[in-house]
Amino acid sequence: MPVFDVQQFRQQFAFFQQQPDWVYLDNAATMHKPQAVIDAVTQFYQQHNSNVHRGAHQLSQQATALFEHARTTVAHYLNAAHSEEIIFTSGATAALNQIAFGLMHTELKAGDRILLTQLEHHANIVPWQLHCQRHGVIIDVVPLTVERQLDMLAYEDLLALKPKVVSFSHISNVLGHIQPVAQMVALAKAAGAITVVDGAQGIVYQQPDMQLLDCDFYVFSGHKLYGPTGIGVLYGKSAWLERLTPIFAGGEMIDTVSFINTTFNKLPFRLEAGTPNIAGAIGLSAAINWLQKHNTEQIKNHKLLLLKDFYSGLNAIKAVDILSQPVHNAGIVALNVDGEHPSDVTALLNQQQIAVRGGQHCAMPLFSHLALPGAVRCSFAAYNTLDDVNRCLLALEQAVEILTA
Amino acid sequence: MTLEQLLAETQPALLQIKQQDLADISAAKDWQSKYRVLMQLAKKLPPVPEKMKQAHLLVKGCESRAWLMHYHDKAQDKHFFVLDSEARIVKGLMAIMLCLVNGMTSTELAKFDLCHKFDQLNLKPYLSQSRGNGLTAMAERIKACCPVK
Repeated sequence: MPVFDVQQFRQQFAFFQQQPDWVYLDNAATMHKPQAVIDAVTQFYQQHNSNVHRGAHQLSQQATALFEHARTTVAHYLNAAHSEEIIFTSGATAALNQIAFGLMHTELKAGDRILLTQLEHHANIVPWQLHCQRHGVIIDVVPLTVERQLDMLAYEDLLALKPKVVSFSHISNVLGHIQPVAQMVALAKAAGAITVVDGAQGIVYQQPDMQLLDCDFYVFSGHKLYGPTGIGVLYGKSAWLERLTPIFAGGEMIDTVSFINTTFNKLPFRLEAGTPNIAGAIGLSAAINWLQKHNTEQIKNHKLLLLKDFYSGLNAIKAVDILSQPVHNAGIVALNVDGEHPSDVTALLNQQQIAVRGGQHCAMPLFSHLALPGAVRCSFAAYNTLDDVNRCLLALEQAVEILTA
Repeated sequence: MTLEQLLAETQPALLQIKQQDLADISAAKDWQSKYRVLMQLAKKLPPVPEKMKQAHLLVKGCESRAWLMHYHDKAQDKHFFVLDSEARIVKGLMAIMLCLVNGMTSTELAKFDLCHKFDQLNLKPYLSQSRGNGLTAMAERIKACCPVK
């Protein structure tokens, strides 16, 4: 297999030409956008801007065609059975909120249980909690093993309690650990649960196959897949999407309205109230088309190489405590400098123009389990180079030296 | 330990920072030296005992927690503070702020301009990060201790 040409890949991102002094390792927060995405969004506004699904004019029909084509692109990428199974949202958080709200009014009753895991992002905890408290639904939590992997034995025990919903992330946003999603979905389905996969970090690691994975819902954000911010996807099997109570109402999602009753439009429109993020959807579709021109195996290998070098460099720095496992890791490394608060480390890295994130990463239950105030998170993307890895390691050494002086 | 005892321990440290360390930090030739001084300042300020860190004293930064205690000498109208932070760099920056405001009257405190002072000390770049590190939140909390006339 030919080697991945990282420089050629990186050149497609204007950001790195504008900010040549920065090492960007905050990719789990948001990724940079290739020119193809920026051009698609600009072109839409310059050449095709109109509202969708409602104009009597040809311009609106063109915009609608582009928007619906974006939906088809996403559907193909996920190997969804129908494009109506793709709902555009503002992001993964909005999608999870829609699922939790939608099921709580239809499928979940007092005394029912739902199953989450210890390492979920707040977006996969709080939307459930908000409604569970009100409706008397019980939340169970899959614990972690000492290696900070999900405890699969405990998972099976908790499935025996017959949760109505099982919702978990493909990849931990803090640790980068890859969960055995296929196995987890299969076990949950065998237990009769509705399955929700939070693909926020997973989507860029691996192209998911909805028909193969067979989960009921899958969500992700466009900006973590080289796409624009403010656009995300809620995938759901048609039968389940039909049963969700819409969280937002108004606009295109309506069929008929009177002051006595309202009937809703068909899928996907019934879950897309108001004017959608048309340019965002087109940008996301451009990101997918662009990404598919690259060899994903090469990208995966390149990231593995970065990770390998980063780990061997980290192991040589005294006083660094690595929280993430090097194996089954999607390219995210959480670490601490012994006895130091993560914000001191990130401040010293920031001073050296290394962009990482510090803190609890919207996963407070994970950090209370780990009994840590937080961690420094270095997250890698395909456009990162070995030079980025080395500069981060040198900066970290300098930070350790200042902190332990 | 009482607040009075903590204040008594904090005062000499603040005096030393004001008379000596401020000059050092302004004169520091590179960022590494600046940070080394900040670390030293954090060490000089006595820690607030865990027992005294009550929830209502918490000043939340984005990434780290800090605590502020206030004493108002009403007879002389002077404000005194002690503080602590989980993060050392922030605590160092807060120590600088504290040595500037401690003992101020209500009028002086109301007029205190952190931005201007940090600019004079060549510390402005640290303020740009202060939204995240909680320094601004601490400054606001300190000013809020000053009774409105």
